[in-house]
Amino acid sequence: MGRFIFKRAASLVLTLFAASFLVFAVTEFSPSNVARKTLGPFALQSQVDILYQKLGLHDPLAVRYSRWLGVLLGLKADPLQDPALGLQFKDPRGDKYFGNFGYSTLYKAPVNDVIWGRLKATAALAGIAFALIVPLSLVLGVLAGMREGSGLDRTISIFGIVATSVPEFASGVFLVALFVVGLGWLPGTSPLDAGSGWPIWTQMVLPVAVLVLYDSGYVVRMVRGSMAEVMNKPYIRTAILKGLPMREVVVRHAVRNAMIAPFTVILLQINFLISGVVVTEMVFAYPGFGRMILDASLFGDIALIEAATLIALTIAILTQLVSDVGYAFLNPQIRLA
Amino acid sequence: MTDDRDNPHLKTLQQQLADGRMDRREFIRYACLVGVSAASAYALAGVPMATPAKAQAAKGGTLRIGTRVKEIKSPHTYSWGGYDSNISRQVLEYLTFTDEKGVTRPYLFEKWTVSPDLKTWTFNVRKGVKWSNGQDLTADHIVWNLKRVLDPAVGSSMIGLVKGYLLDDVTVDGKPSTKIWSDNAVEKVDDYTVRLNCKTPQVAVPEHLFHYPMAIMHPDSKGVFEVGSVGTGPYQLTEFELGKKAVLKARKDYWGGPVAIDTVEQIDVGDDASAAIAALASKQIDGLVFADPGQYDALKALPHLSFYSVPTAETGVIRMRCDQKPFDNPKVRKAMRLAVDQDVVLKVALHGLGIIGEHHHCSPAHPDYAKLEPFKRDVAAAKKLLAEAGYPNGISSELIVPNDQAWFQSQAEACIEMWKDAGINIKLSPMPGAAYWDVWTKVPMGTTIWYHRPLAIMCLGLAYRTGVPWNESGYSNKEFDQLLTEAEGTLDIDKRKETVAKLEKILQEDGPLVQPVFRSAFTFMDKRVKGFSMHPTNYIFAWKLSVDA
Repeated sequence: MGRFIFKRAASLVLTLFAASFLVFAVTEFSPSNVARKTLGPFALQSQVDILYQKLGLHDPLAVRYSRWLGVLLGLKADPLQDPALGLQFKDPRGDKYFGNFGYSTLYKAPVNDVIWGRLKATAALAGIAFALIVPLSLVLGVLAGMREGSGLDRTISIFGIVATSVPEFASGVFLVALFVVGLGWLPGTSPLDAGSGWPIWTQMVLPVAVLVLYDSGYVVRMVRGSMAEVMNKPYIRTAILKGLPMREVVVRHAVRNAMIAPFTVILLQINFLISGVVVTEMVFAYPGFGRMILDASLFGDIALIEAATLIALTIAILTQLVSDVGYAFLNPQIRLA
Repeated sequence: MTDDRDNPHLKTLQQQLADGRMDRREFIRYACLVGVSAASAYALAGVPMATPAKAQAAKGGTLRIGTRVKEIKSPHTYSWGGYDSNISRQVLEYLTFTDEKGVTRPYLFEKWTVSPDLKTWTFNVRKGVKWSNGQDLTADHIVWNLKRVLDPAVGSSMIGLVKGYLLDDVTVDGKPSTKIWSDNAVEKVDDYTVRLNCKTPQVAVPEHLFHYPMAIMHPDSKGVFEVGSVGTGPYQLTEFELGKKAVLKARKDYWGGPVAIDTVEQIDVGDDASAAIAALASKQIDGLVFADPGQYDALKALPHLSFYSVPTAETGVIRMRCDQKPFDNPKVRKAMRLAVDQDVVLKVALHGLGIIGEHHHCSPAHPDYAKLEPFKRDVAAAKKLLAEAGYPNGISSELIVPNDQAWFQSQAEACIEMWKDAGINIKLSPMPGAAYWDVWTKVPMGTTIWYHRPLAIMCLGLAYRTGVPWNESGYSNKEFDQLLTEAEGTLDIDKRKETVAKLEKILQEDGPLVQPVFRSAFTFMDKRVKGFSMHPTNYIFAWKLSVDA
């Protein structure tokens, strides 16, 4: 197991390295450059050229990438913080430290000051949604898969298909029309600010509801499929035939085996909930990670895009690791090596 | 009144009013511009002066406005107007104040006089104005601001506005640039008097001083605006988080007296139109800086909101780069205009909430607008022009449309359908609003928001004069530039309209734009907000407002 985890950790570092380089290379094709973005659309070309030079943007891609990596690892000072540039980019942590993601040209602040608050906001949204999606999907999936083709199965399956098919922006508008405009029970946006008289928990209800509806429909279908398959296995038939009550058959024999396949799917939802919630965040003006990545990408804020990519990737690889270990735990036939 | 009666321009203006060559509204506007006090101007025009809506209702409370909270660090180079300057506007004030009716009044400049040739403007700085650090506002501070925005290294759009009368073209290291035309152009006469010595006559100087980048900053700020910045205005910025919110708290020692609202919060409601509706429906915000036609029906249905609107010169200009094929040929550009029926665009894109444009960017909401023969759709003429330009089989191109103004897309779709009839095939390419500003001066064809300016010649000076920073189409026409400078120096309304008519005609024949409609500026505010009136440039003046508990 230790060897497995070590191998996975090494591959994590390699993947992060490759992905960060790829993002750097792809951003090369975006129009305009960081000097123009930093100085704004109305700065003179001569000013832009001077800054472009000072930032070393004339250097080849490999040189710039190694400089960015040097700043991140704390081996080099961040060139944007040089007082001579007059950019007034200041990082209270200094210009040279491990984990220095650089300076965001969009937010005019150190990336480390911007990104963690946004990640925390999205993690709160994702955490609540995940805590609801998992039990809801498991219960509904097991209930549907227990008796394939029954009325209950059909009802749950139709719910699952409808919930997954309706895009988040549509369910968002529908829920707003019902609970905000119609009934007046909930706030329509989620700025995470209690000043408007709506407590923060009320601001979480609708975005969480949209995510739970959208995502649980899919997970329910996965659990149901797996459960239905297990219920057709010979050992279940044996258990029923030897006279075990149905409840025992389901709880002791079916559920654990039916969880093996959906387990990975469920853990993968964490990735979706962290970096794929941009639509929900837009609909509810939620100041989260997804909206930040969108804004950074549109602006071409390379430092912020890189940091967000590395964080999203680390989360993805770690959840993958947890899912592999959990998979082995659920199914002793799998051996990790 | 004695001072006003001595004003050398007053006789001319009164004569024009008496002859019926100028209506009362125009008389008040021009009389105020040349330094006659608003009270005298209204009295001479025989119009009762409306007292400014004062916040007499409940004191205290918080006003929450829905907007986009964008970067605000550099007021002198702002380019958003309705967003960034509405935050700094509560802290940093302006030298003059153009109200919602287009009348320019004193603000930090208490009064002014102008020489008969409209070249020498003498401004008196209001005494008793205190910065929030306790210092008195003096002429030195104002001269520093004026010189700063005229420095090409700063990159302010004020350069485009005042270039004709305060700047000379120069070449620096082989690149075109500008410099102040004379060392004496911005002159400190004494501690409370500033003089602008212009190289050509210019009537709109006081209106230019209300352009949103002309915020008056403390010289110690070095042009940077942030939390805690010193200003002369009624509020202080106490909290700012880009993309989230800005919080402003009232000053106790404001020179203009106490204000009603204690706290102003500007909340980012994102680019999604439905988020703003939802925020208003649940009373998370009290109003929007401005609303979009796509939001109109939903917001009109909410009973706790009041509707405010004002006709404007705000428009979405479909502009073509004059140095890129096929738009380098003026015949192609005119064909693009001829193939469009403006009435259709008004109905489809704005639900009728606006007025039709005539492809020259001068609006009937402008006092210097000149009425030309109606510009009608003529597909046959458009086809003929294309054939003459060497495109008998029509042309193809791509129109970039930023998606942060929802009606732009409807305007583009309507135009694209009509262009097809003339053999013009245009592909619609929507683009996120933030990304558009990277390419707005580069793409062959784009749709750009142009906010309201009080005079037509201000719009023309910013967007179509050769070489100015916001000339997004690369348009260059010597005759146009000369006529524009001439119009800027003409006080006689008839003569001026004659010149503006020529400018409008040049743009219809040769110009780089298809400009079918002007939208009305409108918004919705909670009924508990008192004292609000819609400004054509979407400006919010928190000191005018109050909120019921």
